[in-house]
Amino acid sequence: MSGLLFNLATFAYAVGLASSAIYFVYRKKPFFDAALVAISIGFGIHTAFLIQRGIATGRCPLIDLRDSLAFFAWAVSLCFFISYVRYRVQALGLFLIPLVALLMLGTFFVRSSPIPEVLRSSWMYFHVLCLALAYGMFFVTFVAGLLYLFQERELKSKKPRTFYYRLPSLDLLDDLFYKFLISGFGFMTLGLMAGIIWAEQKWTNWHTDAKVIAALVTWCIYLALIYLRTSAGWRGKRAAVINVAGFLSVIFTLVSASFLGGLHKF
Amino acid sequence: MKLVLVGVNHRTAPVEVRERLAFPEDRLPEALSALKQDFGCEEALILSTCNRVELLAHPRDGCLRTDRLIDFLYDFHHLQPPCLQPYLYTLSERDTVRHVFRVASSLDSMVIGEPQILGQMKRAYTLASTAGSSGLLLNSLMHRAFHVAKRVRTETRISNSAVSVSYVAVELARKILGELSDRTILIVGAGKMSELAARHLLKSGISKTFVTNRTPAKAEEMAERFDGVALPFEGLLSHLALPDIAIVSTAAEGYVLRKPDMQRVVRERRHRPLFLIDISVPRNIDPAINDIEEVFLYDIDDMQSVIQANLEERRKEAEPAEAIIAEEVDAYVRRAATRQAGSLISALRDRLESICLSELEKNRTALTPDEYARAERMLRTTAHRLAHPFIQQLKNPDGNLNRYQHEVDLIKRVFQLEEEE
Repeated sequence: MSGLLFNLATFAYAVGLASSAIYFVYRKKPFFDAALVAISIGFGIHTAFLIQRGIATGRCPLIDLRDSLAFFAWAVSLCFFISYVRYRVQALGLFLIPLVALLMLGTFFVRSSPIPEVLRSSWMYFHVLCLALAYGMFFVTFVAGLLYLFQERELKSKKPRTFYYRLPSLDLLDDLFYKFLISGFGFMTLGLMAGIIWAEQKWTNWHTDAKVIAALVTWCIYLALIYLRTSAGWRGKRAAVINVAGFLSVIFTLVSASFLGGLHKF
Repeated sequence: MKLVLVGVNHRTAPVEVRERLAFPEDRLPEALSALKQDFGCEEALILSTCNRVELLAHPRDGCLRTDRLIDFLYDFHHLQPPCLQPYLYTLSERDTVRHVFRVASSLDSMVIGEPQILGQMKRAYTLASTAGSSGLLLNSLMHRAFHVAKRVRTETRISNSAVSVSYVAVELARKILGELSDRTILIVGAGKMSELAARHLLKSGISKTFVTNRTPAKAEEMAERFDGVALPFEGLLSHLALPDIAIVSTAAEGYVLRKPDMQRVVRERRHRPLFLIDISVPRNIDPAINDIEEVFLYDIDDMQSVIQANLEERRKEAEPAEAIIAEEVDAYVRRAATRQAGSLISALRDRLESICLSELEKNRTALTPDEYARAERMLRTTAHRLAHPFIQQLKNPDGNLNRYQHEVDLIKRVFQLEEEE
């Protein structure tokens, strides 16, 4: 049952990916609507899958790396919905829908063993939940920053092309950027705190774990971005470098355990 | 259907010809009744704007010739034939429908997507209705045209982009600042030019207006008109910390704003974006200021280049619009054809029935009333059976409409039918 739901969700996301790609190339509005519907269905089934899995196993359905990857995909599509409902930026979907689809497809290729029984606790689930949401939001932040640069370049060049017509205003993109930056940072802080409390109980020497250090670096980068944005009004090109650095750092944090080893390697 | 159109427009005729052919509104009733009474039109409509003069008509004798309409143009405007010949275009039937739909949707306009033409067409239709020259056919055509125009406007972006300096200013301001309510504008130089450029911006919900001018009295006067605040010209740099949008148009010979000054202003504004519009000639703002990240500087040439790009964008959007037109023309012609088929079908039934029954009538005396009644039922059924395959053909104008029209004509000719329209 759960396998079927999971495959169905993946399929719906893949359909969403295909129709958003067609929309991007041919600019036919119905394809974007189709992508939106497909992603909504995928998200619904995915949510149903998580609930069903949770009931079946009697605990939070986050046992292994596959679960985490799929959960991250769920978090990204949640972020996409929140941003789309609030801001109606279609271009955002062109970046986020492929990511969701790729993450889901990726789960079919990763092999991982379940995390040890001793580590399973509410702290752990809370930790993973918050961080998945935080990284999903940072991804939206990253894309919003990117779109801002595209639109800014159009406006500076004074020769409007496609982006000028299809992208929303700088003000809206900046607002989107800032809101998701702040919320992502909030979730990341909560997630890290939960992780630290839980690590204190179960592990020694967690300070030197590769993933922990990477995550702390990421956290510092976003802290710097927020500081410069609020105190000095950095946006657009000035903020872009830090935004890109933060995003690369998120990616690095996500994969760090896989090749650097450490306590997060399962 | 039977529709014809004769006209000139901005592409086929120079303005001297167009103005010579224009119909002043107060003479339209007279012109329309002349078309009806003396030039063989059952229904007629005249569209006369500065870019086009078109006569749309449903000829009374059902013949699709346009020469009577052309005669009317010479006659009404006292012109000598054939002086109009190089400028006129004539259309009939399907092409007329397509043309009317395209004109209403502003695809045939000089500035594609401009909204006035639809209003002008509605006016022309109202005048024709009042003059009693619009009947069933033109009513249905014009209503459909208005519907198509609405579809094109809502389903494509054909009229979305701005094509005048004042609207481009609003469009750019929206692209930079988003919603314009709660935004502040500063007008530097209270002249006619800045007022023209700011006109639509000031109407777009801007919450605060500042005006500054070398002669304070003029600033005061303009500020009062726009419910704004006049500022002294001396502190221009510090004033620039206030607005989100600034329009500069002074009579100064050189730059009144230079890059180092602006860099200081930007820091003071804490990198809040500023939309700077320089409409003065010679320019008042150092173009290098556009390199500062948070400042978007547009001079009059830049605005023109946006207009050009927007026109190009409208032309691109005309493609999906043309697809809508093609679809609507097809549907309209098809409906007209089936409507025509309806009356043809009943005429055909009657005809076949009367052929069969006339045979019976000849033999009436040889039959008992009972036999007669039975024979009559049989013959009626036979007539319907015979008519059936033709009716099937007439009811389904699938595929090629031209071929369908041929079939209709053939059936009409063979059975000598005259359907009333």
